[in-house]
Amino acid sequence: MSTILKLENISYGYIDGGFKRDILKELSYDFQEGKFYTILGPSGSGKTTLLSIIAGLDKQNSGKIYYKGEDLDKLGLHKYRRNAMGIVFQSFNLINYLTALENILVAMNETDNELPKNHKELAYGLLNMVGIVESKADRQINKLSGGEQQRVAIARSMASNVDLIFADEPTGNLDSKTELEVVKLFQNLTEKYGKTIIVVTHSEEVSKLSDSRLFLKDGKLIDIE
Amino acid sequence: MNFLNRAYKNVTRRFTKSILLAVTFFLIGNLVILGLGVSQAAENAKLLTRQKMRAVVTYEIDYQEYYNYINTLTDQDEINDAYNNYPRLNKDIALEISKDEDVKTFNYMTTNVVYSQNFTNVPLGNEEMNNMYNTYTDELGNVIEYQSPNIYIFTNIIPNMIEFEEGTNQIVEGRFYNQQEIDSYANVVLVSKELAEVNNLRVGDSITLSTQDLSSIDSNYENFGITKEFLTNEFEIVGIYNTNNDIDPNSQNFKYAQPYESPKNYIYMPLTTLGSIQYEQSIKMEEYYNSMYPSYGDTSVEPQTIDNYLIPHTVVLLIDDPLNVDDFVARNANRLEQYTRLNANNETFKSISKPLDTLSFFANVIVWIVGINAIVIITLVTALTLKTRESEIGVLLSLGVSKVKIVAQLFVELLIVALLGFTLAIGSGSLIAGSVGDKVLQFQQSQEESDDDDYFSYSYNDPTDYFSEVSQEDLFSEYRVSVNPILIAEIYIFGLGVVFIAILIPSVMIMRLSPKQILLSTN
Repeated sequence: MSTILKLENISYGYIDGGFKRDILKELSYDFQEGKFYTILGPSGSGKTTLLSIIAGLDKQNSGKIYYKGEDLDKLGLHKYRRNAMGIVFQSFNLINYLTALENILVAMNETDNELPKNHKELAYGLLNMVGIVESKADRQINKLSGGEQQRVAIARSMASNVDLIFADEPTGNLDSKTELEVVKLFQNLTEKYGKTIIVVTHSEEVSKLSDSRLFLKDGKLIDIE
Repeated sequence: MNFLNRAYKNVTRRFTKSILLAVTFFLIGNLVILGLGVSQAAENAKLLTRQKMRAVVTYEIDYQEYYNYINTLTDQDEINDAYNNYPRLNKDIALEISKDEDVKTFNYMTTNVVYSQNFTNVPLGNEEMNNMYNTYTDELGNVIEYQSPNIYIFTNIIPNMIEFEEGTNQIVEGRFYNQQEIDSYANVVLVSKELAEVNNLRVGDSITLSTQDLSSIDSNYENFGITKEFLTNEFEIVGIYNTNNDIDPNSQNFKYAQPYESPKNYIYMPLTTLGSIQYEQSIKMEEYYNSMYPSYGDTSVEPQTIDNYLIPHTVVLLIDDPLNVDDFVARNANRLEQYTRLNANNETFKSISKPLDTLSFFANVIVWIVGINAIVIITLVTALTLKTRESEIGVLLSLGVSKVKIVAQLFVELLIVALLGFTLAIGSGSLIAGSVGDKVLQFQQSQEESDDDDYFSYSYNDPTDYFSEVSQEDLFSEYRVSVNPILIAEIYIFGLGVVFIAILIPSVMIMRLSPKQILLSTN
């Protein structure tokens, strides 16, 4: 198994009221390809900040991140987001004036990755894979339930044929039954499609089903299971 | 799904929001069309009227400027000197200006009213009031008969005149005088068809004209050689012309009109011919006056030469297009000497077009006010809408959509709605503009008419005035607001401009956003 994402002495902080607040402190870790990771820790431990940085939504103050051996600074965060990773948010963050299918097509349209020519067919397939049937795929997002919206979000994160999928509290707004379904989807993505899944969560149930659990406290990686 | 597709779907699926915004643009569009339509109609009316006006410019003495100069003088000798040495037109400058590419032809004119001797003028039909021969009773009780001038002489230094170039006059028999006749001061003339008919004249016949009332010539004059024969000259008719011009028998001043005011009593001859006659007569007249009134003799005045009589009173230049008149004046203004000017009759035109200018000014003010307000309103609406779309923008950024594409999407969304609003506004706006413009013009016209009621004006029809008479009614009759491609283009350019500027501030807001900030705030 090869390293897909390598973190090297990642630090992140900001000045708040004249005082420096360190969120992440010289954090290093290698994420392996095709594994399902969960990141756990108390509030304020730096979980979401770490996810933002490794998802290319923000930039660390110091340290290096390598995607498949290439420095993210050189690759460019914009290109990294477009071609290397997908992300799932706690509140789904789908574009509400588009249908489920169209939300998938937005991601497909932006990526430089090679995709089958018939985007629509592929999008229906992805939605079907996450349990959204064709009749629902053509509905506008606000006509779908929370669980269904999160499935659409997961399908969208895969739409660009990326290797990395990040999720920030993806089951935070879902009931326990739906939570389990979503986690199983993640498991399926790693096992069947070789995707690397990195999920920030408070949920013990979710983390128990992951391949590796990373524990953060005060911006430091304190334990790995 | 590209940004154009997303923009279209956002507009069509957020229907209520789009309609509200379109209504805003519709209202703005109506006001803008009101302003642009009124302004454009006013400018068009001026343009059309200008095109109908005779494209003539006169090279003339700027008496107003010269009197202003005299008013600045304090020394009486200087003032007298200024009055004795009026500025004159410069022959060389006149000829240089006449060579301009826009000049079709020109009248380098001296005019004079003279007396017919072996023929009669064409009657005007008001002879009960005006007889060619008039009488008065002197202090001894003798009834003295005297003759009034009845023929108007027009001259030029080239074998053409504006009237003939434009077609107002057409030669029906014979020809125009030629350059050789001009250069040799030949006594040749063109007379009107009516004048020829009344006197049974043909080409080749001769007519005699005098420059003075011969009944006033007594032995005192004759002692100085100023005889009736000396004052009378014979001219050969080389051409007979027909004229479309005529004196208006319905005009207020018709009953007072003199025979020479009728275009049918105009006679055309070379300027050199008239100049040489005037020069010869002036020499004897000067001798006569110096002898009879020695105290008036002014030895300081330079002796007259024939060149003094070859300087035109007026130079009228016919320009190829009324719309080229202002450019022509601007191009040649620097050639002029002090106290002379090129007059395109702009003052008159400006005066009658003042209500349209006022209307146009306020219309433009409306466009500016509405434009600024539209930008502020649309900017605020867009900026506020942006707040509700932060999550969408964050997601698009996290998917790798560039900020430029996000701004482009917002721009297209606004543009679609603006196009809808402005398109609907074109119909209603032009109706409003037409109605408002008419009402304002009627109001201004009625105001001016009531102001004019206080004055009595007498207008003399000056035959040397080549400027077209254009009334305010003529100008206003050309005023009409219409939906034309230029107006449509202007409204859409305005809309595009408003949308473009209105999107700038929201764009800066978007450019400053990072996906993490947005997504953290929305999660």
